[in-house]
Amino acid sequence: MRAVPTDSLIPAETAARVGELVAGPTTATITAEGAQRYAQAVGDLNPVYFDEEAARSAGYRTLTVPPTYVAYALVKGRPLDAIGVDGLFVGERPITLDVGRIMVGGEEWDFLEPAHVGDTVVAETRLAAIDQKDGSKGPFVRITRETTYTRVPDGAVVARTRQIGIAR
Amino acid sequence: MSTDRRSSQVHVEDLAVGDELPVVVRNASRVQLFLYSAATWNPHRIHYDTDYARFEGHPDIIVHGPLQGAWLSQYVTDWAGPAGRVKGLRWQNRASALPERDYEFRGIVRGIEGTTVTLDVWEQTPDGQVLMPGEAEVVLPSRVDR
Repeated sequence: MRAVPTDSLIPAETAARVGELVAGPTTATITAEGAQRYAQAVGDLNPVYFDEEAARSAGYRTLTVPPTYVAYALVKGRPLDAIGVDGLFVGERPITLDVGRIMVGGEEWDFLEPAHVGDTVVAETRLAAIDQKDGSKGPFVRITRETTYTRVPDGAVVARTRQIGIAR
Repeated sequence: MSTDRRSSQVHVEDLAVGDELPVVVRNASRVQLFLYSAATWNPHRIHYDTDYARFEGHPDIIVHGPLQGAWLSQYVTDWAGPAGRVKGLRWQNRASALPERDYEFRGIVRGIEGTTVTLDVWEQTPDGQVLMPGEAEVVLPSRVDR
């Protein structure tokens, strides 16, 4: 027997946005400086990110970058007045939900081609799915944003990621 | 923090389903969290402002979910060696991690098909609480021509 149905936390106008482009297209060229700062901040001193010879002998065309770095190569600087009290950037096209806070739920990456220093990459993020689930601590909303990273000019997809946000 | 990596290349023939990967322990300093915020242009206060993190209900500043994801990625790329290629990686952030604490990265070989190896990989506390379960697909070199 079913209890009282849970009210939807997803407004109809938000549900209607599945498939919509929510960020991008953004273009950036991967630099050794950016990728190496990221690798050092992670604590990943793999020589294929720092030493051209090591990268070539491992089969890369030139220096490669940590696989997940491509997401951060595409992050654009934003002015201070675009930052909210929590320190987060205020979204230009925010996704509206009747919830308190949104937390990182996880990520799913497909790495189709290694990314290299010097590659120019275009990122486009779509709202891939938004669904309400019943968890042990009550209902929550799972928001999946899928970003595709495409190398230009040849059009090869370098990577795809689905970032999952949990809102309750 | 450990940046040890295998000096020799692992080949697909070296593995059997059920093999365990070596354990790697990571421990983030507060400085590391700050540097990761800077390197990823992430101004979220829960990663550097203790008072604000407590206001949001956290016991302390917390380790970025994607930094733990990057550690998981490094765990796999270090294990796969220079000729290995990670083709897929998935993880769930189930619980927050704190600075100045040890976390273990562990893995087990789940499947081998041709030169593609599927791994279960995860981050846990030393007493076994899984913070971040995940899976990876890695293509490894072979000792024979295929």
